[in-house]
Amino acid sequence: MRDRAGPAGAAVTVAEPERPAFDAIVVGAGPAGSAAALELARAGRSVALIERGPFPGSKNVYGGVVYGRVLDELIPGWYERMPVQRWITRRQTMLLSGERSMTVDFRCQSWGRAPYNGATAYRAEFDNWLTEHAQKEGALLVPSTVVTAVLRTAEGRVVGVRTDRPDGDLTARVVIACDGVNSFVAKQAGLYPEGQAEHTTLGVKETLALPKETIDERFGVSGDDGVDIEILGGTQGVPGGAFLYTNRDTLSVGLVLGLPGLAGQGRRPEEILAELKRHPSIAPLVRGAELVEYSAHLIPEGGYHSMPRLVGDGLLVAGDAAAMCLAAGIWLEGVNFALGSGMYAGRAAARALAAGDLRRLRDYRSLLESSFVLADHKKLRKAPGLVLSERVQHRYPGLVCDLVEGVFTVDNPKPKPGIRRLLRRSARSNGVRMRELARDALTGLRSFG
Amino acid sequence: MGELLVVVALRWADGRARVDPLTGEVETDPRGAGAGEADRCALEHGLRIAGAAGGRCVAVTVAPPQAEEMLRDALACGADAVLRVDVPEWDPRLADSGSGTAQALAQAVRAEFGEPGLVLTGDHSADRGTGSTPAFLAARFGYAQALGLVELAYADGALTAVRRLDRGRRERLAVPLPAVCSVEPAGVRLRRAGLPATLAARTADVPTVPGAVAGEPVTVHAARPYRPRAKELPPPPEPDPRLRLLRLTGAHEQRDPPRVVVTDDPGEAADELLGYLKAKGYLA
Amino acid sequence: MNQRYADVAFEDRMSHVDFRVAEKAHIVVDTDVCRSCTTKACVHACPANLFVPTDDGGILFNYEQCFECGTCYLVCDGGNAISWSYPDGGQGVVFRHG
Repeated sequence: MRDRAGPAGAAVTVAEPERPAFDAIVVGAGPAGSAAALELARAGRSVALIERGPFPGSKNVYGGVVYGRVLDELIPGWYERMPVQRWITRRQTMLLSGERSMTVDFRCQSWGRAPYNGATAYRAEFDNWLTEHAQKEGALLVPSTVVTAVLRTAEGRVVGVRTDRPDGDLTARVVIACDGVNSFVAKQAGLYPEGQAEHTTLGVKETLALPKETIDERFGVSGDDGVDIEILGGTQGVPGGAFLYTNRDTLSVGLVLGLPGLAGQGRRPEEILAELKRHPSIAPLVRGAELVEYSAHLIPEGGYHSMPRLVGDGLLVAGDAAAMCLAAGIWLEGVNFALGSGMYAGRAAARALAAGDLRRLRDYRSLLESSFVLADHKKLRKAPGLVLSERVQHRYPGLVCDLVEGVFTVDNPKPKPGIRRLLRRSARSNGVRMRELARDALTGLRSFG
Repeated sequence: MGELLVVVALRWADGRARVDPLTGEVETDPRGAGAGEADRCALEHGLRIAGAAGGRCVAVTVAPPQAEEMLRDALACGADAVLRVDVPEWDPRLADSGSGTAQALAQAVRAEFGEPGLVLTGDHSADRGTGSTPAFLAARFGYAQALGLVELAYADGALTAVRRLDRGRRERLAVPLPAVCSVEPAGVRLRRAGLPATLAARTADVPTVPGAVAGEPVTVHAARPYRPRAKELPPPPEPDPRLRLLRLTGAHEQRDPPRVVVTDDPGEAADELLGYLKAKGYLA
Repeated sequence: MNQRYADVAFEDRMSHVDFRVAEKAHIVVDTDVCRSCTTKACVHACPANLFVPTDDGGILFNYEQCFECGTCYLVCDGGNAISWSYPDGGQGVVFRHG
């Protein structure tokens, strides 16, 4: 296993190449990699974009929504050509507790018109579409090729990668690691902190087929409009969340499960998913749907504090490889951060190459900090901890549902209870102290506000 | 004979077509399409034979433009040239005939590369899978054919092959050249292309010639379960119905019980066999 | 107990996914290490159900229908019992939707 990618793989020390084969190698043709390759190719640099799957997107899974605003800068008019399933015009946040649920439902019809907001899309289509743009600009896609090791000089500068193909060493001035959540490239380069498992969640997803008309009826939308439902509480005690998105004629139903919680729980992911699909609030939505694909992928959910070092010697890290995934309860985003970080990595690399000074790769960090990519992560750095906390996961859904049940249950001939008393009672029965509630509200306000 | 020209004909098909659970339509995905395992084995055989004979190996296909990826892979693996006979993306509801494919292939190969010394294909494609294209190819070229091979070897100008027969038997063939051979997905695996060749193939030009394969709509004449014709059996000539029934079931028939012979001595076993054959009238 | 119909069978669930099985296994488990492992988190956590506990306390592993997610090696606390890598280029899982 020594010669293969993996946690046990090690960087290979080589002599400084006289003439690197490429200006840059981008590892991984996901959104981050394609964005980086696109920027570099546009700047007139020779780029190899190495992808381990037979086509871009073939190894990738996500919840289901792309927020494409950042594409305005990369591919103007993207929304007219992107392979979209549905444009999100309705967002719901749902709390599940037992057989109860409480939903906040927001509809915004202008999200269904240019310049749009978020869209559901299949990754196999979206990633491929993005890579085609990079290829059109001159990036060289190398599919079906696994990067097994980074090539480093004795001084530790990354000068290329080793692939699993025969005669498979490839050299470049800059390497950009966009190789996803497991990022063996960044790990080999020593950029990764310990304890990745704590900050990683497992996403499992079912793609379920239903006729378009049925989806339109069940979810109250029409045409290309779609619905995005984020769910808290449907995970059978494992810290995490759930989601339900509409595609044109399929639904994406899935779970996000914290790895430590899943490991300790002894329940299988698909069992928890089946349980979610039986919940009275979910079952009518998915009834009669045929499974067309089951998929799973890891998600780096630790946020700002769990990120690896983003810049190494001759190496930049972007996308999931840099843990750039925002799982902050009401916001679940990732592809946009991958696109953004990839774009800035490509830009920083192009500038450093143009200046002939690889120390300028450090500009990547400042580009990120002055953009939404790190600004959002920094602002929401406490959110992942809060969202995955025991109180938010286990007690608050129950508290909210108890409270709402108390408000709306007509208990005649008893008079209606006051809401403040109901709140105190619900808090007590769910084991929440008012002081904790106030503190979490404050943390929430501070990090979300 | 000049240098051996080995032509490998690849079928571009999605190996994992899906039937839509709602409409019953067959869905194929060009991204997942490529050469089937049998075709990949054919390419490996072609590369080895061309290498052993000091000849050329070319890969051809009759397919829409998305199939270029498959031909680039063939180039990366070591094919000397590739050729795509351009046809529009076919309607999966139309059946294309092996005859039409063979005609388009033969015409393009003759025009571009001349007369081949050996044409290789997989035994069945992943989509239609009738396995008729290689037979039609042999007819088009007027070559010998050996289909469904599991082994293929070339040495000193002679091509030998092994074919599977029923009950685990094999037949060994000396294939006269020129010939058309189709191989089962067995015995060899397509080599992994090296990185430099892969990089070169990514930007290589894939030559294209126009072609046409007429698809014929499938007409279903009848769809009935198979019912073999009834065999007439005269009733046994017994007067008593109970006896007739017993005769039919064969319950009271006298039968020789099977004789199990256990012996370690080969001579004794041979005598036993000879005796049996003599008793049954097979030996005088 | 109220017996309810389960979801689709696990085999049916996996039959909807395209796996191009590589010749070489990309997962290798040191089952000697597993015998001393009390949690065996991989058995429950692996979304593809690739890890099966054996009678003698070891772990039997499969690699053919792997989603290549990495859950197993991250939850494994048995001193690197699981050597994990990616399958050869072009092999392994191919998601059509994702």
